[in-house]
Amino acid sequence: MDDLHFRRTLYAAPNCADEEITKAAAQDPSKQAFWQELKQLDANLKRASKVPVPDDLAHRLILKQSLESHRLDKQRSRWYVALAASVAFVFGMSFTLFKQPSITDLGEYALAHVQNEGDGYALLANGDYSIETVNVQLASLGAQLEHSVGRIYYANFCNFNDIRSFHMVVEGENGKVSVFIVPRDAKLNPVDSFSDAKMAGQSIEASKASVILVSDKGKSFDLLKRKLKQNMIFSA
Amino acid sequence: MFSRKQSANDSVSEGMANKQKRYEALVHALHSDIFRYAYWLVKDKAVAEDIVQETFLRAWKSLDSLKDEKAAKSWLITILRRENARRFERKQFDLVDMDDVPLADEGLSNETEIEHRELRALMAGLTEEYREPLMLQIMFGYSGDEIAALLDLNKNTVMTRLFRARNQIKEALDKANDSRGIKNG
Repeated sequence: MDDLHFRRTLYAAPNCADEEITKAAAQDPSKQAFWQELKQLDANLKRASKVPVPDDLAHRLILKQSLESHRLDKQRSRWYVALAASVAFVFGMSFTLFKQPSITDLGEYALAHVQNEGDGYALLANGDYSIETVNVQLASLGAQLEHSVGRIYYANFCNFNDIRSFHMVVEGENGKVSVFIVPRDAKLNPVDSFSDAKMAGQSIEASKASVILVSDKGKSFDLLKRKLKQNMIFSA
Repeated sequence: MFSRKQSANDSVSEGMANKQKRYEALVHALHSDIFRYAYWLVKDKAVAEDIVQETFLRAWKSLDSLKDEKAAKSWLITILRRENARRFERKQFDLVDMDDVPLADEGLSNETEIEHRELRALMAGLTEEYREPLMLQIMFGYSGDEIAALLDLNKNTVMTRLFRARNQIKEALDKANDSRGIKNG
């Protein structure tokens, strides 16, 4: 191995373990000495490279990270609070908005009430309530029937969108008609007539309550309506 | 539902505690080496410390990406080099020359201290392209291949630079010895 190559290799990597290098050094004491010198230089350089490290550097590194971690945590929790606030806001808004339209229309509510009445037990009821019996119950709503308006198959209180109301099923000229007596409430907008695909209804507006009639579509109940108008009396 | 949430929280905080432990272990094990490396990169203690702070902060943020603890050192070196490069993108600091910086007394004998001082001045005097691979080799014992990978250089280039770096130091030392010899003789 020529000297130049030997020196070049070791200058680049004094700790090289190349077989050729090792062999060349073993055969030539001056090469061996050169190598030792170079290794010594490297050892010295390594020692000299160890500049003093600031004493508390490790602590400062950890401190800086903790502060950063804390900052991120705070940011995150701010974000969570903002998210929670938005969710609460949206929830509140939608609650108000959803509730409003469902209670504004008395007619739609009446249709829904008849439709959703489970198995329609009121319409299937086959009782025959006397006008006195019905009047006892109606009294609590401040209403009274003066004369009979036809057979009353069913009569009971019901919950008309949180308003305590009276629900009757009365014989009309074309079959059974559902009649609701709903005390006047600011939450409900009265409507004259209303209908959906299957049923139709009309309402009589009295001073203190609405009387709502609902029956199958196409079956008029004008006569019953007139009778109710004449006979239903609301006390002051 | 609540209990599940509770345990999820537990494992999150446990994960965070683990990460904290790993980070602190990393700091304690490697901050000296990394600081010294930064120092030899920029030749200024204050700047070196700034870069080391940024390096470890970045390391903490992406600690999850460090899978093998054995690779931690070269991982940190890579981050540090990137942080150093960013520093140059931001602004060019006034670098203080090595000779102007009084280094703290390490309690070494006067002769050794003088020798170290001389060697440091020589290392600092190398251009960065020679100094960096040399420091990687001397301080961390990296092989030519490893240095090439870290510096994103061809291995032959690295070996040539290492040769030239040592050659320059050796020549300077020999010259100093000669002149000393002349003075003494």
